[in-house]
This record gives sequence, structure tokens and C-alpha cells, in this order.
Amino acid sequence: MSTKEHIDRIELLQGTLDLLILRTLLLGPAHGHAIAKAIEFNSDDVLQVEQGSLYPALHRLIKRKWISVEAGTSENNRRAKFYRLTPKGRKQLALETGKWDKLTGAIARILRPRREEGRP
Amino acid sequence: MNRRKRLLEDLDQDIRDHIDRETQDDIDRGMSPEEAHYAAMRKFGNVTRVKEDTREVWTFVWLEQLFDDIRFALRMLRKNPGFTAVAALTLALGIGANTAMFSVMQGAVFAPLPYVNPDRLVMVWENNPRFPRTWVSYPNLRDWQRSTRSFQQMAAFREQGADFAGPGTPEHLNRKEISSELFSTLGTKLTLGREFSPEEDRYGGTPVAIISTRLWRNRFDSSPEVLGRSLTLEGVDYTVVGVTAFGVTAFGFRLQDDADVYTPLGQIDPLILNDRAAHDGIYALARLAPRVTLAQAQAEISTIQNGLDHLYPDANRDLGIYVEPLKQFVVGDAGKMLLVLFAAVGLVLLIACANVANLLFARSAARAREYAVRSALGANRTRLVRQLLTESVLLSLLGAGLGLLVAIWGVRLVPAAAVSENLPRSENIAVNGPVLLFTLCASIAVGILFGLAPALKSWNSDPQASLKEGGRGSTAAHHRTQSILVIVQMALTLVLLVGAGLLFRTLRHLSDVNPGFDAQHIMTFKVGVSHSLTKTVPSTRTAYQQMIERIRQVPGVQGADFTGSVPLNGGWIMPFWIGSKKPASLQAAPRLVMFLTGPDYLRTMGIPLLRGRFFSPEDTTNSPCVMVIDSVLADIYFPGSDPLGQTLSAGFSPVGPCRIVGMVGHVKQWALNDSSTDIQSQVYFPLYQDPDQWVALNYPNMTIVVRTPLDVASVMPAIKSAVYGAGSDQPVYDVHSMREIVSDSMSSQRFPMILLGTFAGLALLLASVGIYGVISYSVAQRTHEMGIRIALGAEKRAILRLVLGQGLRLVLAGLAIGAVAALILTRLLSSFSHLLYGVGANDPLTFFAVALVLTGVAVFACYVPARRAMRVDPIVALRYE
Repeated sequence: MSTKEHIDRIELLQGTLDLLILRTLLLGPAHGHAIAKAIEFNSDDVLQVEQGSLYPALHRLIKRKWISVEAGTSENNRRAKFYRLTPKGRKQLALETGKWDKLTGAIARILRPRREEGRP
Repeated sequence: MNRRKRLLEDLDQDIRDHIDRETQDDIDRGMSPEEAHYAAMRKFGNVTRVKEDTREVWTFVWLEQLFDDIRFALRMLRKNPGFTAVAALTLALGIGANTAMFSVMQGAVFAPLPYVNPDRLVMVWENNPRFPRTWVSYPNLRDWQRSTRSFQQMAAFREQGADFAGPGTPEHLNRKEISSELFSTLGTKLTLGREFSPEEDRYGGTPVAIISTRLWRNRFDSSPEVLGRSLTLEGVDYTVVGVTAFGVTAFGFRLQDDADVYTPLGQIDPLILNDRAAHDGIYALARLAPRVTLAQAQAEISTIQNGLDHLYPDANRDLGIYVEPLKQFVVGDAGKMLLVLFAAVGLVLLIACANVANLLFARSAARAREYAVRSALGANRTRLVRQLLTESVLLSLLGAGLGLLVAIWGVRLVPAAAVSENLPRSENIAVNGPVLLFTLCASIAVGILFGLAPALKSWNSDPQASLKEGGRGSTAAHHRTQSILVIVQMALTLVLLVGAGLLFRTLRHLSDVNPGFDAQHIMTFKVGVSHSLTKTVPSTRTAYQQMIERIRQVPGVQGADFTGSVPLNGGWIMPFWIGSKKPASLQAAPRLVMFLTGPDYLRTMGIPLLRGRFFSPEDTTNSPCVMVIDSVLADIYFPGSDPLGQTLSAGFSPVGPCRIVGMVGHVKQWALNDSSTDIQSQVYFPLYQDPDQWVALNYPNMTIVVRTPLDVASVMPAIKSAVYGAGSDQPVYDVHSMREIVSDSMSSQRFPMILLGTFAGLALLLASVGIYGVISYSVAQRTHEMGIRIALGAEKRAILRLVLGQGLRLVLAGLAIGAVAALILTRLLSSFSHLLYGVGANDPLTFFAVALVLTGVAVFACYVPARRAMRVDPIVALRYE
């Protein structure tokens, strides 16, 4: 059972959660619960975020001024805090996404090298 | 800050909302509310940790942890008062000695000179093939001032004491004759009044004076109306035009309030100012022009001097010029010497560190279980090491606090052990801001240094093993490190002891040196003669002759006469030649030391007459001039021939040729350990034959030497009343016994010896405490083993031998390493030309003696725990497990 869980769910690399939050907020402001849901949903439940760990990450991003926070009302008229991507955060997201692509590309090449040209 | 607080306060609400939403989602999916709530909680994770983690985002965690560490460390230190006291005292000695020594370095060497942009100030010297620095010629200086562009300003000064006759009681004052530019060159603002004008700075100008704040206070009650008042110096009334708090000393040793009074240099005797060949006490000081480097200034002024040499070949042949930073001149060789002493005191601190590290090792063995439990409970190792380092830094800060007390006390003692040549600017030395900063940095560094090894040790320890061993820790490894530390301590102590020992032996040798005269029962002093009596040359001669006659009449005085310079006090150097042929270049000619003396000087001083005769009262300006040479001059310049009857001339404005009528013994003129680079040839010339034009300059500078079996205090009142017989405006000053002068001449060895001796003593104390601690600890660890040995029938002597042997092995290893280090380092001492005398840098006697002392002390330190080991009761020891 425990082994299976290991295979199914991938623990997030450090800093990756930040990236995912930024990416989620690119679509528009959202409150904490919505962000968690969006990450789970979009990753087909493969990325299992312990929902609590979202909050330290959100505060880290606020401190770095990559996101801002504002009060608002949610879909069912409940008071909620909305997190919004700042221009600085947008820039950071572009930067991090670029880095991420490079990293994953490099790792993929190592793990699954393409055959060299001219060889069968 | 507020924003941060608000965000955190909202966090609770946010989390609750989050969980509510999740719960609602699950209920919507069909779960029961209770089930849904638990599922939401599970999914959310540990609420407390989330809160903590979020809080951490906003706080300086390390700062909070630091406070925690400090609180914990303080508790630990309080819990072990014995350990804390021993460690703090050890560190107090080490840090205190270093702080004191740093205060000395800071005051004497590092502190900037008290002038505006002091780095731009330089001394300008003339030099010749024989001397790297000589006084400058006034006409040359004036020519430099006119031609140079590299120097913003150039000034001159000359030290010439002055007899002060009022207002108030007569006194001899430190006077400086200065050019009008001096204060503006230094950038020093006068407290009151103005500088001299260029018109006043020339022969025949109005007599004006600038006085020091000391004179202002003592003689004018610090009254602002002092300007325009007059004071009498050397029989001349000067008008006060200014008051100053700062000056410059010829030898740079005291910079504050050093001269009592300043008068214009341009007004002094034209014999000195107009003669280009005269190099008579004038110093040149200059400020570099903006953006001009020292090398550029040197190059430019050298070119100017070359031009002057061509214009005035007679006076200037072979004359060069040397520009030197003022700071370098003021600090002189003392900087290097102090650096060596600073290094020595650094070794003491290392020894102290080793002691504390050893204590910490012993304690960390005892605390191994605590560390093990904490790391088993999940404390990470960085955090553990950090906490241990906090403890040791705190300990060292505690030591530094106590050390400051040691330093404040020590700083008062240091200048008392030195005379000014060994310790420039000693008035600057204090525990001040830069010193406190040094102490703080040093103690933090020291805390990390001695704390690091034990802390890392606990990093590497395996918690499982520690727990299993029941708190005994990995004792073998501890032992090895502790032994190495003790060996290092012994080695360092030996190095310091050898240094102090060599200097001690040097002083013993110096006091055995024959100075060439009989130093017992001689005193020296100077006297001003009333200016009403010295208006003309004949009356001056008569006045001085009558005064010395009166002094000879004083009961208890066995002999008295004048001399231009006192032995061991430096001398009056001049070029000379034998026969009638004057050398082409006086600058390159050989030099001698000239003694201008009265006829009874030789007998008074107890200098032996080797051949011919000394002067008689009949050798006067009316008879052919005569000179007496010393045995060194005779050996060098008259090898195998008879000097008597030959002629000799001396000086830039020469006297002679005079007939040599006698030969006397050589006198130590520079120091008891005169080196061959000092001028050794000596010539005596009768004061009563001094040419008329020099009388006004030479007579007031005469020192009187008196032979009397009475001590200074009891004979001085009678001498003073004999002097005052001729009028009341005559100060008697610079009173010294010859013994004092001899003793002062050894201060350049005594000062480092006292300091190095103190450091070596401290080192010995700390190292013996160190070896005592380690052996005691090892005995305590081995109580069980000792018990078994005794139970099996080991004799007490064998136990004693076992423990002493262990200590002795450490000592001998330390001695071997220390001896090698000392052999290398003592060469450093002997590189100071005047420091060692009569002993080689690797003097075997010194090495052997200090090794014996060190071994003796160390073995005694081991004997105490050894006896404890001997008395172990086997029953108790075995039950102890």
C-alpha cells in the first residue's frame, strides 16, 4: 500500500509549489482553497499538495512581492482573501518557466537519450 | 511590520475558511459532515506546523534561535560555576594582555597623527655618504621653498631650550624656534592669536612668541588678555601673539603640548642661518602638494638639490636629500619592536585558548549523553554545533569583559616601563574605541577558535555509541586532541621563555660592561646663567668660570666641570681631518664625536688618562689650541705612530689645526652595546679655547658634571644656593644621577624584556594549569584502572611513575617542538641590532635553563593529580562502576 502511494504521488521539489501557484494565478486572482483545487485538478491528481503547505508558500510569495493580497467575496458570497499576480510575479513566472523547461529538457535528454543520427 | 502582523492574524481565519470549503465540497459529494471534516483536516495537514512555517517566512528565525541559544548557554554557564570561572579567568588573562598590547600599538603606531591630513606630511632631510638623515642647512631650505612645486608648504623648526625669567619664578623651558609656516603646514589652528608673520621670521624682527596651553595656564591664568603681554626668555622680552595646544617635537615622541614656547627661527644667530655648510639642529617638515606622490616629491627635490650642489660646491658637495613620511619618522623602529611583542602576546592568547578548549573537551565528554539524546530527538547537527559555539563565544565575551579590567590596569603600567624612544606617543595610549572594537572582534574570533574543535567533535560523535557507553564518550579520541593541545602549549611557552631569557641575559651582560668612566657618585645638571652677566663674550666666560668655582666649594663636592655632552646620551658629531690638508669634501670626510669640556672633566668623570696630559686652566684662547683624543681614534688613525704632537681639525666651520697633547680611554657615548656603525672616535676640546663667535651659542648648552659621594637630594640644595649666589633668575634643571643615565640607556632592552617576561610568566602559568587539568582529567577517567592495578599489587611508586611519565612525555614533546620554533623565532629578535648583547640567538645556556624551569613547573603540575592516583582506594574505585 505504502509503496503504491509512493509511485502514484510525486512529492513536490522545493520551489516547485511556488511556480505552480504563480502559474495558477496567471489565470486570474483566486483564494487559497481554489488554488489548491486548481493545482490538484490540473495535474490529474498526480501532484498531491498537502493543502496546508500552500499557506507558507503564499506568504513567501507575498514577502517577495510576486503576488499581492486583497479582500473580496467568493462565488457563494463568502468573505475571502484573493491572491493576485503582480507584474513582478509575472516576470518571475516567465523566468522560472524558462528555467524549468531547460531543466526538464536536460533531464529528459539524459534519461531518454535520442539515438545519434546515422545509426539504426 | 503592521502588514506582517495583520497577515499573520488573518491566517487563522484563512485556514478555517479553507477547511470549511473543503468540508463543504466533500459534503456536496455525499459524505457525512463529520467524515467530511476529518477528511478535510487530513488533506490540510498539521495546522500548527503550517502556522509555524508561515510565521517563519516573516521572522528572522536565526535571530530567535540565537536568543534561544544565548538563553540556554547562560543557563549552562550558571550551572557550572567552577568551569565558568576557570575558563573566564584564563581568557581574561589572555584577552586582557592582548587588549593592553593592542592599546599600546594603537596609541603608538596605528593612531593617525593629530594634524590635518597627516598622511600628506613628510620630513625632509639632507643626507651624506655617512648619514641617511642629517639636519638641514637653512640657506638650502630657503632655496627649496622658493623652487619646489611638489610641496604645498615647507616649514622648519629647531629645538633650543630657553631660560625663562618671568612672569613668575625662573624656569628652563622647552622652546622651539619655528619658521612662520609651521602651524599652517601642520594644519593646526591656534587656540588664540596668530602665527608669526614672514617679517617677524627674520633677523632683527620684532621678538614675538607663541606659548603652549600649559604655559598659558601656569603663568597667565589662561587669561584671554594674554595676547600682547610679554615674557622674558634668555634676557629678551618677547610679546605673546598666540597660544597653541599642539606642536611637533624634534624626535616626534610627544606630540601634544610638547614645547612650552615658540619663537621665530629667522631671529636666531646668523652664524647658523647664513652658513650654508652649517647643519645645526634645523628640521624641515613639509606638506605634499595635492596629488603629488612621495616618489615624485623626492625626485623633484633631489633635482633642486643637485642644482644647489653645483652652485655651492664647497658647502654642498656630496649632500643628498631624503623625504620621509612624518608618521614613519615619529614611529621609528618602535613599530617593528612592538609588532614582535604583539605577536608574543598573541601566543599567550593561543595558550589560553588551548586551556579552554581542553576544559570544553573534558566537559563535552561529560555532556556526550546530552548531545546524544538531543540528536536522537531530532535536533539537527548544525543547530547543535551552533549552540555549542554560542556557548563558547559567550564564555569568551565574559572573559573579554574581565580582560578589559586587566587591560585598563596593564595600560597604565606599560608606559612606565619604557622611555620615549621605545614607546613613541605614549600619551596616546588608552583603552579607547578602536581598542574596544579590537577586543570584541578578538574575543568572538577566540570563542569560535577554542569552541570549534570540541563542537565539531560532538558533530562527529555517534549518538548510538554515546548512549550505549553510558556517557563516557569516545575518550581515546578526546585524549589525543587534549595531548596535542598540551604539547602545543608547552612549545609556545618555551618560545616565550627563551625570548625573555635571552633579553634577561643581555641585560646582565650590559650591566657588566665597563662604560669607560666611573658611573658611581656622579650627577649631572644644567644651569642658566643670568643674562645680566652674559652680555659680552669675556663676561660670559668669567660668569661660567665663577659659577663652576662656587660649585666646587660646596661641601661634599669632590670635583665639578662643564661638558658639551654627557656619556650614553648621544653626542656632537662632526667631520675631521689630520694634519693641515683639508679634504675636498667635508660631507664625505670621517666623523668624530666632539666633547667640549673644562680641564677638570676627565678627573671628575674618572676617565683614565693613557698618555700625555689633559687640559689645564692655562689652555685658553690666548694659548695655542690643543686637543685630546681617545684610544679608538688613536688606533684607527695613528696605527703604529705616535699621535702626540700631531695636529687635528674638526667641524664644518672648523677649529684647528690643534695639537694633540694627550690620549684618554674610550667612553661609551651611544649605548653600553655601541655597535660598530656608531661613530666611535672621540676628541676633547677645551671649553676655554672655544672661539669667541661660538661662546654665545655653546656656553648655555653646557652640562655640569659633579662628583660627590652624597646623594642627589641631599647635595642639590647646597649646589642650587651656590648657583643662585650670582643672581636669582637662574634655573637649575635636567638633574640626573649618572647611575640613572646608565640605567636609562638600557631601557631599549629592558622594556621588551619586562613585557616579554610578563608574557612568558603568564604563558607558564596557563600552560601549567593546562597540563594539570589534562592529567587530572585523565586520572579521574582512569580511577577504575588504577583501582585494579593497586588491587593486583601495583606499588604506589609505580602508579606515580605512570602518571608522571604520561605528563613528562607531553612536556618533552613540547620542548622538542618549542626548541625548534624558538631557534627560528629568536633570529627575529637578533635582527633588531641593539636588542641582544653578549648572547647568541641560540644561546645554549638560556635554552637549557628555561627548558629546566618549564619541565620543573610542569612536572609539579602533574604531581598533584599523580598523588591523587596513588591514593585511589581499590574498593571504592571498583565499586564506582
